[in-house]
Amino acid sequence: MKTKINRRTFLQASVLGASTSFGSSSLLAASPAPVMKSNLFSSPAAIPAAKGPRVVIVGGGWSGLTLAKYLKKNNPAFDVVLLDKNQQFVSCPMSNVWMADQISLEFLTHSYIDAAKNNDYLYLNTTAIELDRVGKKLVTTMGSIAYDYLVLAPGIDYDYKRIGIENPEDEYALRMHHPAGFNSASEMMAIKHKLHNFKGGTLALTVPSGNYRCMAAPYERACMAAAIFKKRNIRAKVLLIDMNPGIRIKARGFKKAFSEYYPDIIQYESSADIKGINLQDRQINTEFDSYGFDDALIYPPVRAASIIEQFGLSDEASLQQEAKTDPFKYHLLDDEHVYVTGDSRSQPFSKSGNTANSEARYVAEVISAHAAGKEIDWRSPQTMCFSGVKIDPLESMSIIAFYNYDELQKSFAFDRSHVIEKWSEKAGQAGLAWAEGMYKDMFYS
Amino acid sequence: MKLALAEKIWVSVLLSFICNALNAEPVTIQLSFEPDLSNGRNVYEVCAACHLPEGWGNSDGGYPQIAGQHQNVLIQQLLEIRSGLRDNPVMYPFVQERTIGGYQSLVDVVMYISTLPMHPQHRKGPWNDYSDEYRQGQKLFLNLCAGCHGRQAEGNNKILAPKLYGQHFPYLERQIKQIKTGHRTVNPSMKAIFDQQSTANLMLIANYVSYLPVPEDKKAPSINWRNPDFYGQD
Repeated sequence: MKTKINRRTFLQASVLGASTSFGSSSLLAASPAPVMKSNLFSSPAAIPAAKGPRVVIVGGGWSGLTLAKYLKKNNPAFDVVLLDKNQQFVSCPMSNVWMADQISLEFLTHSYIDAAKNNDYLYLNTTAIELDRVGKKLVTTMGSIAYDYLVLAPGIDYDYKRIGIENPEDEYALRMHHPAGFNSASEMMAIKHKLHNFKGGTLALTVPSGNYRCMAAPYERACMAAAIFKKRNIRAKVLLIDMNPGIRIKARGFKKAFSEYYPDIIQYESSADIKGINLQDRQINTEFDSYGFDDALIYPPVRAASIIEQFGLSDEASLQQEAKTDPFKYHLLDDEHVYVTGDSRSQPFSKSGNTANSEARYVAEVISAHAAGKEIDWRSPQTMCFSGVKIDPLESMSIIAFYNYDELQKSFAFDRSHVIEKWSEKAGQAGLAWAEGMYKDMFYS
Repeated sequence: MKLALAEKIWVSVLLSFICNALNAEPVTIQLSFEPDLSNGRNVYEVCAACHLPEGWGNSDGGYPQIAGQHQNVLIQQLLEIRSGLRDNPVMYPFVQERTIGGYQSLVDVVMYISTLPMHPQHRKGPWNDYSDEYRQGQKLFLNLCAGCHGRQAEGNNKILAPKLYGQHFPYLERQIKQIKTGHRTVNPSMKAIFDQQSTANLMLIANYVSYLPVPEDKKAPSINWRNPDFYGQD
């Protein structure tokens, strides 16, 4: 990409210029900047005192919310504190069918206050910034919080480097103009606006490689985008560019849905090893091809949320920068008081809401047992998901899968999976009921 | 799935309405429905994603085996979860009228579920039939449970006693804990037995029950059997 080199050269030149002018500035020397204090936030946070062993959970997603509830339910003596940087919860699962107007934003949006009040734990709207494992203290923007147990459930971040995006300018431009839509409500809303205002032409969607969040979602999103275009009666093509050799999940069902409902709209390209994206020329470049687009939703590969790395917990050998943890008990190998769960876990489980919910119920029992000096038997998380293929009314397919540990491979694999690829209206309703049940579990009961 | 149903089967839904504000006597009405098996199969799509197309649940105990269960038992549980009497936040929205449908749909789906063949290798408890624990469980079961649940734990549709044979042990174990801790309510005679017995004794009973045989004609031919209503006809 020519533009990239030019921009970088320009940037280097401007940095050089800036430092020269900084050096000669007498104004700057006259007013010294305040010294950065690392202990700026380290005085204790002004929060209610711990009433029992304190469990602090970083991240109020599907994992953190479920853990907070079940830790308290299983062991009422625990003093549970849930931290999230967001002021409300907006569900990523079901957001594709929301984009296609099958449900409202209210269906997806829930209050941390309700969750904390109904389940008897503390919720703090704050960001964790430093971890002191020796002093068992977590530093947040509200001050420091002492813990007996700490659970990190911060989710994912995108890894644009794995699709050849090296400089921050290009990454920022992609985040703004071609959001992935799997990590924040703002991304989801920006995508919905795009789909409902698309003027026609080619909309490219990319499917990342690796263990990305919500395996079926990019294919479902292609169906939803196509359904919206069909309903709006505009001439548009959905170009689904998959970095994988084939559809990762519910492959027969999705293939059938593409050809049955959207034969003139969805074009599927597999084994696309994306090496870069040219934003000026609107092209996605792979090793051998380049795909032009009028607009695009670029879903890069994912990694464990960067806080895991910032806290010095990333395993260097891990492609997705995950922490080294006990695969059955979820704690750090050298610290039985710090756990990593949800989509930043190191186990290769599917990164989905139901997986996180079922896993968290188990981890809540693990931590309760640890506090009592006991151990419990491992049990598999359950990966279950519904994928919409058609709208008005919504028709969906489903899968439920479990895992087991392969002693030879020293890793987890699918134990058995049950895929229902015959989509139906009933399954569409079941998908909505599933989400509602999960919200009820995490927020209202 | 082909089923020869020679005679009409009627399933009743018993409803009790209690109006506390008026301090009135509860009103009980009985509605009868003729089950429609083919609609039951369609309605079952609401259930299949979790309970599996076969109704075999999960041997970890996360979901019970429901295949082959008595209709009245199933309908009672559906109605109790629908009303919130049995606390199950995750299942609650599935059994609301807006999702699963009205009483006719419930009757249809329980009929369908009751005709599904059962898991041929459900999960058993930790103590096999040569162990002392097994024999202790047997003794307790025959004394305390067999009266309602039957000597073979075959249950009784008329008195709403669930069929217990074939149920995954971890599910029985989890229910025992829930009833013991008050998270699941049961009828007064069950409650009396639970109050009287230790959790350890109740586990011995569940263990024994998990070793009771599932009759051959109620079992699927193999664990690889898949419900043809959901697979392979497209």
